[in-house]
Amino acid sequence: MATTPANRKALLISPEVCIGCRGCQTACKSWNQLPGQKTINSGSYQNPPDLTPSAYNIIRYSEVPSGANPVQWLFVSRRCMHCGDAGCMKICPAPGALYRTNEGAVAFDKEKCIGCKLCIAGCPFDVPRYDAQGKVSKCHLCFDRIAEGLAPACAKTCPTGAIKFGDRDELISLAKKAGYAKVYGEADLTGLGTLYAFKDAPRIYGMNDNPAIPESVIFWHNVLKPLAVIGLGGVVAGALMHYVAVGPHKDDEEVKKS
Amino acid sequence: MSETVRKATTEEIINHWVLAVSCILLIITGYGFLFQLKQVYALFGSNYAMKVVHNWTGIVFSIALFSTMFSYLHEALSMDSDDWNWLKMGGGYLTKKAVAVPPMGRLNTGQKLYYLVIVIVGLGIAVSGFIIWLVPGIRTLTIVAHLIHNLCFVLFVVAVPAHIYLGTLANPGVLRIMIDGMVPLEVAKKRYPKWMKEIGKL
Repeated sequence: MATTPANRKALLISPEVCIGCRGCQTACKSWNQLPGQKTINSGSYQNPPDLTPSAYNIIRYSEVPSGANPVQWLFVSRRCMHCGDAGCMKICPAPGALYRTNEGAVAFDKEKCIGCKLCIAGCPFDVPRYDAQGKVSKCHLCFDRIAEGLAPACAKTCPTGAIKFGDRDELISLAKKAGYAKVYGEADLTGLGTLYAFKDAPRIYGMNDNPAIPESVIFWHNVLKPLAVIGLGGVVAGALMHYVAVGPHKDDEEVKKS
Repeated sequence: MSETVRKATTEEIINHWVLAVSCILLIITGYGFLFQLKQVYALFGSNYAMKVVHNWTGIVFSIALFSTMFSYLHEALSMDSDDWNWLKMGGGYLTKKAVAVPPMGRLNTGQKLYYLVIVIVGLGIAVSGFIIWLVPGIRTLTIVAHLIHNLCFVLFVVAVPAHIYLGTLANPGVLRIMIDGMVPLEVAKKRYPKWMKEIGKL
């Protein structure tokens, strides 16, 4: 992997700057040639209500009234977080189906996807979706644009700067200079590629306070995978040693002699 | 030709080879998945093709595993003090000297235990495999099934090579039981005295 902290790209999302225009959703569909979907009235502007195989990003419209702020309406852009330690990539059995780009994005190759859906189990953020052909679909940080030095479609089209694209380190220092003490995703999962400048606790914005890959997936990766090699190697070595040190049973010969 | 006795029926032999070949194919593809081995995937043409081979071989394996229960389950579950003593001396495998092991029936204690492990772990790997394959996308269910499938895989890659060694190099001559099913009578008397008594040969 050629990803280093120096060249890792990221998005910085600032919900307070977002006006909820959904230009990002439209630009994403336009660049990635994703079909439109019939909207659903679920009592909010949020449409579609969640990520789908043809909606790589959505804006969540959350009404979170509180005593001090009776009309708190939050617009939070949601998509793949491009984790530094990506659970989807960890659990994926198909080489090349999910891969890390030079810019640090987690991209996918539908040709190589085997449609097992294990990435859904590995993802801490409920991001991967499957299309009608049974292949993985999600935000890939416009890997084709950013490799050519362009901003992802969503960031390019955002009229207010609520979605900013750039060097990850620079975006973090930018957010800190703007007064955000903690940037969501700065250190989680060895650093997320989608950063959030939150004024309040992440859960107010509908995000997990402590995102993590499932324990069992980590156990599988760190313990069971090595054991599968050590176990096989150990038995083969043990059999060889037994053959040399003790030797085979010779029932046939013993019977013949007697 | 000296007299022989039939240790395994044709059905048992065919079932065993179906089980063995499917199991080894599943283990090879399993390692391919586990470590994203491009070389293993390449044997099957495409990523998706290997998944299809793994899934459908799993069906063959499950049917063959289920079939064994009629042949061995009852015998494997019946153990007595001879089995305990056999186990204590490691079946005579731990020393170079020819040692007298307690009298055994058609299956010895090691074979009984191996069979029970394969049935239990095989059921675990089959059921969890079908869950991963056929009911995907339910996060908690997939996580649990994935863990069980991989735990069972580790046990399989330890148990199966040991079984192959014991059935070939460690006991010259026994491989024939899985080819034509026959054992020379004199050898059978030494290995399976209880069984030979039962059928009136000893």
